[in-house]
Amino acid sequence: MGELLATQQAKIETHPCYSKQAHQYARIHLPVAPACNIQCNYCNRKFDCSNESRPGVVSKLMSPAEAVARYQKVKMRIPETRVVGIAGPGDPLANPKSTIATLKAVAALKHELHLCVSTNGLNLLDHVDDLKAVGVDHLTITINCIDADIGSKIYPWVYFNHKRLRGRVAAQTLIDRQLAGLKAAADLGMLVKINTVLIPGINDHHVAAVAQEVKRLGAMLHNVMPLIAEAEHGTYFGLMGQRSPTESEIAAAREAAGQSMEQMSHCQQCRADAVGKLGQDCHADLDDDGSSACGTSALPAAERYIAVASQSGVLIDQHFGHATHFQVYQLTQAGIVRQPDRDVDQYCLGSTECDDESLNQQQRMSTLISSLEGCDQVLCSRIGMGPWQSLEQHGVTPSTDYAMQAIDEVLAIEWQRFCENSTQGTVSSEIGEVC
Amino acid sequence: MAFEITASCIGCNACKLVCPQKAITVGPKQYSILPHRCNECVGHHADPQCASICPVETAIVNAEGRALNPPGSLTGLPDERKVVALSKRRARL
Ligand code: SF4
Ligand code: SF4
Ligand code: SF4
Repeated sequence: MGELLATQQAKIETHPCYSKQAHQYARIHLPVAPACNIQCNYCNRKFDCSNESRPGVVSKLMSPAEAVARYQKVKMRIPETRVVGIAGPGDPLANPKSTIATLKAVAALKHELHLCVSTNGLNLLDHVDDLKAVGVDHLTITINCIDADIGSKIYPWVYFNHKRLRGRVAAQTLIDRQLAGLKAAADLGMLVKINTVLIPGINDHHVAAVAQEVKRLGAMLHNVMPLIAEAEHGTYFGLMGQRSPTESEIAAAREAAGQSMEQMSHCQQCRADAVGKLGQDCHADLDDDGSSACGTSALPAAERYIAVASQSGVLIDQHFGHATHFQVYQLTQAGIVRQPDRDVDQYCLGSTECDDESLNQQQRMSTLISSLEGCDQVLCSRIGMGPWQSLEQHGVTPSTDYAMQAIDEVLAIEWQRFCENSTQGTVSSEIGEVC
Repeated sequence: MAFEITASCIGCNACKLVCPQKAITVGPKQYSILPHRCNECVGHHADPQCASICPVETAIVNAEGRALNPPGSLTGLPDERKVVALSKRRARL
């Protein structure tokens, strides 16, 4: 590959996933793509997809219009939002209509934005022209191998051409389509990033070959990501005891792949529901949302405290383990009053999930619990099994039921529930986020 | 001749996108198949499309209640492991 074009260079510099310098720009992922057309052994579509957030229950299916409204809401709070991505919770191109409609509607706003799509690549060839036409310039394809024998250990099935394919045929179909899609996208001038999940004993000896091939076909950047496999996630790899790679194995794989592809090392494994800047909080100021005290003394009876993990400050969009502070709200009969935020030490520090039983982890958990003292409930987008149990043991109820919903709307629901449960008080349902 | 969707459905919407008969609907609580529309894909494709893309075992059953994707057929997991996974998750919910 020759020199990068100046326009390509500019695209890279302002994109948080591509450039280490671009972290002042924020991104939002819109979860409009629940369906998937393949199965990966590191993903559990049933409970908790490992690439993305949990597939929504029926009522939470997000339409393109809702997604655009969400984007606008976040953009108002976080004007630095420069990246809109569609990455799941399934595969964007297994949901081509809603993906393209969402991208089109966002593009029509004519904001200065990068549009990105992450895909497993199976349907890329069919939609690459549409993606280009709506202005997608950053594309991520997850390519774990280019050898069907390896692939058949990673993908139990692939739905293609109206059939559920299995075994070698499934893997070969997926690989052929991924590579053809990659080439087509690169030929159209898109910046293509390749994700490869490093699975010890399965594709660790193979990443250099992947890197070489994707380089040849025009990929820009390579991200070798460690497999996350815990039995609690209910994935095939998790349940079968497939281990994750060690730090040194990751380094070795990146080194090997780095011979032909530039490697990305600052990836935070963003989820489909991510909002905000990579690896840091956006302290979007919400002080107009709950700080006005409103006759809380009127009905002294019961009260309830809810802690919220939020990166954007607008949505319940943060993994419990990634939170560095929690918003706290007091619910009384009189209404909802915002309390001072609780600063905490981030529970999850590594790239692994938060189910680690190490001593350090346990200590962090107990300080975290004391920081959340007095809270009855914690709302977050995701949470590991370990922290979930510890919280419950300490009388705090964690919940991911409201993942990606707006904080003010959720509080209104919870407040109503609180009022119904606590006393005889009849309360008008016409209550927003505050009194 | 029609299939049905069971409570193990996760609401991923995949079947709805591929059904040639537009037989799949989303109710307030559940996905379901309209019996008068579903013809088990006869005349369209060799395999029923919903059952060919659905990622969840036992989510789609035939008129006799038999799962088109029986336990173990999609994940390849031995049964005991799956029971463990399910009960753990239930404890968490
Ligand atoms: S492509 Fe993504 S959503 Fe589909 S099975 Fe793989 S990890 Fe899960
Ligand atoms: S069997 Fe075919 S027609 Fe019937 S619901 Fe499934 S996809 Fe639709
Ligand atoms: S494909 Fe299966 S899990 Fe998904 S909505 Fe249809 S029946 Fe439910």
